[in-house]
Amino acid sequence: MYKNKKRGIIGIVITIVILILLVVFTNSNVNQMSYIENICNIFVMPIQNGFTYLKNKLSGNDTFFADMDTLKQENESLKQKNSELEQSLRELEVIKSENETLKEYLNLKEKYQDYTTIPADVINRDISNYSSTIVINVGSDDGIKEDMTVIADSGLVGHVISVTSNTAKVQTIVDTATAVTSTISTTEDTIIVQGTLDDKTTLKATFIPTDAVVLEGDSVETSGIGGIYPKGIHIGTIKEVINTSNITDRYAIVETAVNFNKLNTVLVITN
Amino acid sequence: MKKTISIVLLILVFFIIYFIQSNFFTWFTIAGIEPNLFVIFVLFIGLFAGKKLGLILGIIFGFYIDVIMGRQIGISGIMLGVVGLLGEYLDKSFSKESRLTIMLMMAGSTIIYEVGCYIFNIITLGVSVEIISFIKILLIEVLYNLIIAIIIYPLIQKMGHALEEVFKSRNILTRYF
Repeated sequence: MYKNKKRGIIGIVITIVILILLVVFTNSNVNQMSYIENICNIFVMPIQNGFTYLKNKLSGNDTFFADMDTLKQENESLKQKNSELEQSLRELEVIKSENETLKEYLNLKEKYQDYTTIPADVINRDISNYSSTIVINVGSDDGIKEDMTVIADSGLVGHVISVTSNTAKVQTIVDTATAVTSTISTTEDTIIVQGTLDDKTTLKATFIPTDAVVLEGDSVETSGIGGIYPKGIHIGTIKEVINTSNITDRYAIVETAVNFNKLNTVLVITN
Repeated sequence: MKKTISIVLLILVFFIIYFIQSNFFTWFTIAGIEPNLFVIFVLFIGLFAGKKLGLILGIIFGFYIDVIMGRQIGISGIMLGVVGLLGEYLDKSFSKESRLTIMLMMAGSTIIYEVGCYIFNIITLGVSVEIISFIKILLIEVLYNLIIAIIIYPLIQKMGHALEEVFKSRNILTRYF
């Protein structure tokens, strides 16, 4: 009898503790936990860094065996491309200065803002099948803050969700919890792209306006609405448009510009 | 004393499993799907060392995983705690000496863990519901966990009995006689 009573009290106490924990965890900001995260990282990250270094070393060796001929050919074409690019760069420079003088004439104070970025390596990938976060090797010591945008050479990667002194957790755009407001670059129609469980290289574009003309191959970029991502960062291209019987339900599959399976280095935009 | 050493060893094993999961199994996948070694490990603790240790270590390990990699802190903690707790109840109802029951337990707890996590994610993070894709991934994950359970079954038996001796030595007599 006594034992049962005691057990009942313990049960109630445990239930209360679980309730308190649930309330605390669901309402707490991940960033406030960063001191705990710091401590936890101490055990794992140094060794993880070593593993990543080893892995990169091993995969880097493959390039030694590349065919010489293809390298030569590639070199030739790259040289040609380089000269072409240089020429277009000069042209652009002329246009830029022209543009600036025109803007000054118009008394426009805002100029095109160049982003300042910090390079970082991906040191840890998500261990769950249902989410897609990565850990990078820069943190608050390098000036990284929460909600900063992370990009790779070819396009948008995601945003920082929590920071420790020397690592940062990034929620990628292919994560199912991420939704990015974006525009189709040709028509300027606003759509929302979301990560899917199906595939870690494609996104689902929804809320397509009924009068919008969406074509395969159209480029999709961030719209700047929402406050996290700056305007005009390339996300990907439209791979397929799926029409449903109801035009408001139609959606498109967007192929990301960044290959998330082979993502090794990223850039964090700090301004 | 023996208990303390066992707990320290279990924590050490957790870190080894963490590194295996995050380095080896992120590329050694079945159709891009990783297994979930943490569920296997926590269920193992629950089965052989009892629900108290299963629950506590499950919550600590889950919390740790959430802090390191998760989008929301607490979800894995709660669900791994549930798996640890489940261990003892499964132990009372089924025999651990059979490979088949161990496999079924692993499959069941993986399903409970992932479904629980997914429901939590839908509620707290506003993840869009994709039931068919979810089931597809879950089935592959369960299959993967089953395969791993078959492979490490002898290890589970050996380590399990050693662990049981430390934590449940007094219970064995009353249970079997």
